[in-house]
Amino acid sequence: MGYDRSLSFIFRCPTKIVFGEGVAGDVGNEVDELGGKRAMIITDKHLVETDLYRQVEKALGRRYVGTFSAVEPDTGVHIVNEGTDTARKLNVDCLVSIGGGSVIDTAKGIAIPLKEGGRLEDYDGFQLLTEPAVPHIAIPTTAGTGSEVTFAAIIKDHQEKRKLVFANTYIIPNVALLDPLMTVGMPPHLTASTAMDAMSHAVESMHTSERIPISDAFALHAIHLIVNYLPGVMEDGNDLLARGQMLIAACIAGAAMSNTHVGLVHALAHSVGGRFGVPHGIANSILLPHGILYNLDACPEIYAAIARALGVDIRGMSDEDAGKKAADAIWELTKKAGLPQKLSEVGVPENGLEEIADLAISDGAIVYNPKPMDPEENLKVLKQAW
Amino acid sequence: MAYKFPSEEWIAEFGKAINANEEYKRTAATWEGPVALIFNAEPAIGLDEDFCVWADLWHGECREIKKVTLEEAQKAPYVIRGSYANWKQVVQGRLGPVKGMMQGKLKLKGNLPTIMKYVKASDELVKCAAKVPSEFLDE
Repeated sequence: MGYDRSLSFIFRCPTKIVFGEGVAGDVGNEVDELGGKRAMIITDKHLVETDLYRQVEKALGRRYVGTFSAVEPDTGVHIVNEGTDTARKLNVDCLVSIGGGSVIDTAKGIAIPLKEGGRLEDYDGFQLLTEPAVPHIAIPTTAGTGSEVTFAAIIKDHQEKRKLVFANTYIIPNVALLDPLMTVGMPPHLTASTAMDAMSHAVESMHTSERIPISDAFALHAIHLIVNYLPGVMEDGNDLLARGQMLIAACIAGAAMSNTHVGLVHALAHSVGGRFGVPHGIANSILLPHGILYNLDACPEIYAAIARALGVDIRGMSDEDAGKKAADAIWELTKKAGLPQKLSEVGVPENGLEEIADLAISDGAIVYNPKPMDPEENLKVLKQAW
Repeated sequence: MAYKFPSEEWIAEFGKAINANEEYKRTAATWEGPVALIFNAEPAIGLDEDFCVWADLWHGECREIKKVTLEEAQKAPYVIRGSYANWKQVVQGRLGPVKGMMQGKLKLKGNLPTIMKYVKASDELVKCAAKVPSEFLDE
């Protein structure tokens, strides 16, 4: 877990995080505080029909000027540009997103051209903006991506069939309203898979070669919260204490990961998702323990710390043995949550593994894995996970 | 002999260092396309206008490297821009290009996932830059 004198980092988490039951109702005050007068809600076609949505719209009161509800999973450049056009017509000066990662990323995307002009694709790049984008208040309805505090928006160019990453400090949402009531309706399977997305952000932020102490602290607490509260929320989806703790876990895991990188698990999960349509949280959930076991000899002391955060009694164990127990604890957690355990269970054919192994090598995340990877090594991990 | 950083002499040496680097050849074997580097103007140290470099990188080789105008540089599919102090850190090997972008010290225009596929190649480019004996304007 130690660091040497070469340690050098910048940690950013500028988002104002407001937590509590009913805080989504404070959205109007937050708009005022940001100097907004004309707020538009960004959401999807399902959420727009819910009471949760109506409460936020009502809470915005006179500041509400309209809603853009055409966001789809795996959001796209065309969706963002459509949302930007709507916002321009309405003369919007503040964005309120209600939804999961795709919705929040859409709002981050809209915030860029709405301030700078032009179309979203003009800003394809890294840290290109020179001033803050349009203010954005994020209200997550899932507890997984942590997008409410991260500096990247992943938006697909469906025409060119490629993923664009808009990474910029100025698109980190200004405010995150973490309201447990907003996640109560989340179905058990989505609750579990998004939680494991957050778990994989936490674990990977710790074993990446770019890890930093502040992210470690966030990640360890996120792991502790997930292992302690996921079973409760799976048992009773109306358990507001557990729902709230899961929101906090996802938020701080996102902040941890946004300041480091991720590694092998995300690189493989992106390829599994891209090639065979396996949802990101599910792919991460299946691959995470295998990633730990694969990397175990590179950073056993980190996995020992993770094991402790997972509640494993590691007294008297070597770091390597404790790391194995960390992988076991994650398996136990995902089994109890009813999540699939093998890639073969989620539609990945055995003859597709080599292709995934090759694809993952061109994923940016792979270079930050604690052990160098190549297609053969990737394939070993994939075979274990299949 | 040390070369003033940045200068046309410095970039010529940089180009030679790239073409002498076998590891760069290997890790950038599939890279296709020019990259522009822009050093922001800083009159206080004698950099009166933006200094722009055009590097035509193709399959692990630097086919051409030259000083260009800002207008020309901005036409490159990948443009990396930063202050003199931050570029100096990169050239001295104290700041990795990707970390520099993560921290907002360098700005990239271009497709990030594509760049991320070539992180190892970009590290090799930095090693090449570090090999050029440099005389810094602010020292």
